[in-house]
Amino acid sequence: MSDAGPGSDTPVAPPMPDVVGSSGRGDGAPPLISPAAVPEARKSLGLWADTWRRLRRNKLALVGLAIIIVFMLVGLSQIIASLAHIQLTPYDPNGVNYSLSPKGIGVGPSWHHPFGTDYLGRDILSRTIVASRISMLVGVIAVAIALVIGLALGPVAGYYGGFVDTVIMRMADIFFAFPYILFVLLLLTVLGPGFVNVFIAIGLLSWASYARINRGSVLSVKSQEFVEAARAQGASDLRIIFRHVLPNTMAPVYVAIAMGVGGAIVTEAGLSFLGIGIQPPDASWGSMISSYLSYFPAGSWWMLAFPSVALVVTVFGFISFGNGLRDATDPKLKE
Amino acid sequence: MGNYILKRLFQLIIVLIGVSIITFVILFVVPGDAVSAHAPKGATPQVLAMIRHNLGLDRPIYVQYGKFVWSLLHGNLGNSFQFNRPVTDMIREALPNTMQLAIAAVLIELLGIPLGVYSALRQFTFRDAAMTTTALVIWGVPVFVMGLFLQEVFGLWLNVLPITGAGGTTILGIIPGDLQNLEALVLPAFTLGILEVAYISYMQRAAMLEVIRSDYVRTARAKGLSERKVVLKHGLKNAMIPVVTVAGLDLGALMGGAILTETVFSRPGLGLMIYTAIGSRDLPVVVGGVLFATVVFVVANLIVDIGYALLDPRIRYE
Repeated sequence: MSDAGPGSDTPVAPPMPDVVGSSGRGDGAPPLISPAAVPEARKSLGLWADTWRRLRRNKLALVGLAIIIVFMLVGLSQIIASLAHIQLTPYDPNGVNYSLSPKGIGVGPSWHHPFGTDYLGRDILSRTIVASRISMLVGVIAVAIALVIGLALGPVAGYYGGFVDTVIMRMADIFFAFPYILFVLLLLTVLGPGFVNVFIAIGLLSWASYARINRGSVLSVKSQEFVEAARAQGASDLRIIFRHVLPNTMAPVYVAIAMGVGGAIVTEAGLSFLGIGIQPPDASWGSMISSYLSYFPAGSWWMLAFPSVALVVTVFGFISFGNGLRDATDPKLKE
Repeated sequence: MGNYILKRLFQLIIVLIGVSIITFVILFVVPGDAVSAHAPKGATPQVLAMIRHNLGLDRPIYVQYGKFVWSLLHGNLGNSFQFNRPVTDMIREALPNTMQLAIAAVLIELLGIPLGVYSALRQFTFRDAAMTTTALVIWGVPVFVMGLFLQEVFGLWLNVLPITGAGGTTILGIIPGDLQNLEALVLPAFTLGILEVAYISYMQRAAMLEVIRSDYVRTARAKGLSERKVVLKHGLKNAMIPVVTVAGLDLGALMGGAILTETVFSRPGLGLMIYTAIGSRDLPVVVGGVLFATVVFVVANLIVDIGYALLDPRIRYE
């Protein structure tokens, strides 16, 4: 999926067609996304230039974007570091040092260990940095799984309509019916806890919202002239759907991705907190919070505080950026 | 309207069939656990085969599915492996605690409506910016972090509220009947409620901003109505519909979704029941609990949708 307009190599398609937002609430998009959040291009500005122009004025969204960029850089460098077996943290995150935990409850923040040390004398800053790897992986992979399924089924449902639409959307309804975290728990009970299963469980469960959102916008795009033009040229259905229709319905999906990554990170943290997510020796922010919990009454607030803050700040970044992006691409909020 | 309800009822049945198939498949892929759970230690293959036969696990898959649905329709969710008692009894005991929590949380989250309206009416002011930022930060706080934080502040530092458990007496099963019951409810309810207040106020602000720019609000202003009347009668009435929907759905979702809160506060509700069962791989309790929560959620969904259609005629003519 490129960000470019529809088929830049096909002469029939205008570089950036005007896309009219769908008319009402009836298109089945969940309340998360405003149904009409389909972008409308200005004459002189490209879609993304226009979106950026409006996003720039939203300070919260910019803060969110900055947080996302920092998070991505840290997470990515940790993934590369772990693949290359090098250490990109001030201390060894799993380096046990009992002299740094004389009473068994760690040592508070100091110049050498700004986030303090845990009950085994491990450096909390290093562990918090390494844990970003899991959050980044869960955000990216789980959402990618959901996107692949959702963006294969959603446009097909919207484009063909009728029986195909009914079958796909009823399937989506069924997945929507399960209380989210309970179903992930059920899947993990069966699949067993662990890294990859968390990705699969979250991904399998969230495809339906992407399918629904995208189907809604496909419905509003499919009768546009450029789709007609492509059809007149003899383009196949699949080519029309994935080459011409899909790229023009992506704005609400980008919003959903931003929110979805934040949501996946929270879900993973919750699962790890319950002890059915990431298993030791891997650390995620949720599993750190969970394992440090019992040291809290003894006064070791730093063990709990820093992973919690990292988690909250990261999720805030995705949510505020997602909200800003939605406002920036919503034609109804245009001045 | 009748057509709409019929259509939605039909969809509900399809969803329930789908849910039962998915749950059954999940159960079916781990038959070994059901057998070994019933088997004594060191059982011979013959004994295992006999248990398999007694449990009906050697029958064709469609027969097993039929039996599964048949017992579901009779309200039979099987017996707990661990406690060897009907799952339905366990649900019946846990349910009031969860319902009490869900209702209290939803009542608290409705506070988001006035907050969102206030924020929307003061758009571009410092207060609006501060409230919106706060809402977005709180929205991202995981529920267990919020729970731990409230436990620390009110339970340990100020030492004014109990941090775990439930108990005391209730009226009609859910209304707190004495101080002990009420006290145990306060922190879990606020944990869930505050997070949702953030979400609801943000949604309400967005909905209100959209509505106060609409033509009918402009018309109402042009007619010379007082600002108070324009905002409350023409603006809020319309802007509240989607938000109340979210609150209604939460009531259903919290039935099972309170699992993290109930775990943090050791509150013996449905969520804690399911969580404990996962730890001991007590599959009938997990599946029964999830199925029950799903059905409640789906039915709540249907009621909200019908209410929504009654309030907003546009929905009916989809």
